[in-house]
Amino acid sequence: MKDMEQIEELLNCYIDGELDERKSTEIKRLIDNDSQIHNLYDSLKRYKNLMDTVSQVPAPEGLCDNITAHLERGVLLADTQIYSLKAGRRHLMTRHFMTAAAVIALAAVLSIVIFDIFVPKSSRQQLLSSVLRKKPIKQVLYEKPFADTKPLQDIKVVPAKSYDVPFVAVLTLKTNNPIEVDWFVAKALTTTNLLSQTAAIERQSGTVRYVINCNNQSLADLIQELSFIWPQCTNTKIDIGTEQAGKYVTINNISAGQAMEICKAENFVQRLRMANDLAIINKFTAPAVIDRLYAAADIDSDLLVAQKPALTSVEKTQTAGQSSNDVKNATLTIIVISN
Amino acid sequence: MVKPIQEQLKSTDATISIDEASLVAQAKAGNMDSVERLILKHQQRVYNAILKLCGNSDDAAELTQDAFVRVIQNIKTFKGQSSFYTWLFRIAVNLTLNFCKKNSRVSFQPMNSELDEELKHQLKDYLIDKTSPQPPQIAAAKEMHSLLLKALEKLDADQRAVIVLRDIEQMNYTQIAETLDIEIGTVKSRIARGRKNLREILEGVIQ
Repeated sequence: MKDMEQIEELLNCYIDGELDERKSTEIKRLIDNDSQIHNLYDSLKRYKNLMDTVSQVPAPEGLCDNITAHLERGVLLADTQIYSLKAGRRHLMTRHFMTAAAVIALAAVLSIVIFDIFVPKSSRQQLLSSVLRKKPIKQVLYEKPFADTKPLQDIKVVPAKSYDVPFVAVLTLKTNNPIEVDWFVAKALTTTNLLSQTAAIERQSGTVRYVINCNNQSLADLIQELSFIWPQCTNTKIDIGTEQAGKYVTINNISAGQAMEICKAENFVQRLRMANDLAIINKFTAPAVIDRLYAAADIDSDLLVAQKPALTSVEKTQTAGQSSNDVKNATLTIIVISN
Repeated sequence: MVKPIQEQLKSTDATISIDEASLVAQAKAGNMDSVERLILKHQQRVYNAILKLCGNSDDAAELTQDAFVRVIQNIKTFKGQSSFYTWLFRIAVNLTLNFCKKNSRVSFQPMNSELDEELKHQLKDYLIDKTSPQPPQIAAAKEMHSLLLKALEKLDADQRAVIVLRDIEQMNYTQIAETLDIEIGTVKSRIARGRKNLREILEGVIQ
């Protein structure tokens, strides 16, 4: 069957003159020798001849005119570039792009305006930084809130220089041996070279009064010397003068040590505070206890002496005024009273 | 402007000897006279080929016009690697085949309705009995022409194209292959199958 198709194809090529000379000779011999192939060839030839008789029909009238008119119209429209298909598409595309660009630009402007109006500045920066994937710039709301500031430190604050209130005290010694005590006082004044600074010595019946003008340190030395007569006294009292004339802080049962501490006070305020404290302490404490405590402790101990004030403050205060030991601003009146 | 050229071409008919290459060159340059000469030179062959392919004169006229318009619009792209006629036919045939494939119509009309008995008898004598050595005189008859076109319509579009280009347009196999952009072997096989199918169709009519 396939051979017949091939033979039929070769016969068609032979009829159409598409075979070379060698194949044409072979096909011709085959046609001459094979009746079946001859019949097939004859049949194909007859159909071919019949098809060749199909006549040509004339082209329709005006076909050329129509074509040229169509072409001329196309050329004219192309010249005007109004109805050119390509130009029209390009123009339309350009307009579409421009419209889209304008819409996008308008939307962008509106977004910026809305964004600017409704979104807070901090959120805006955060959003922008997240969109741009940039680390947000740390905004300093308070410049160096704690920078370069050291923690507060306790500073020993010395009270401001107090006004100069002279040390005025009246030491009253009650004793059963007034003569002996008087002798010891005189001896102490001599020992401490304060006799020359004794302003007055008044001797009355049962009472001897010494008024000494010197500095505080000298008074402390004097009290130290007088400490030997303390056991001879039945009652000791000291009145510390205040800033108001005629008003005193009275310390009953004062010991020699307490008296020395008061004398060593750096200024009036400290002295007055010590006096107040000692007045309260001595009021509720028996003299024997005080003596015993002073005997057990160092004489310089401040066991029963109020602490020196130490205030803390951020403000630096002026240093307290120096003790005026070298100035004769202390007046001590020693009164020896016979019981 | 067109009329004188048409008349001139009609008067000289097929004996016109205008250098086709120069016409194409002038047409490329935008010379409408050359364009018209090219159209007048090829319109009848193109129209007949398209008519045989599509089987409808109105469609053939419209397709011919479209083919020429497309050829002239794209004439600047013609590089001259083949003849202008082959290039023109390639465009026309492809346009027609696409049209036929898109508008494939099935004809339910019996093919022998228009054929009278005498004509049928003569055709049988020629094709089957082979008693008549030459194509019958009636081959030139209008009915016979219509019968052959209808028989062609029954063929597959690809087979119809090669039959038309070979048997009616008298193209050789190489030209057919160039026009349809197929191999020569394909042309041979399609011609063989097309003629066999056409023979069967016609035998079915006359028996």
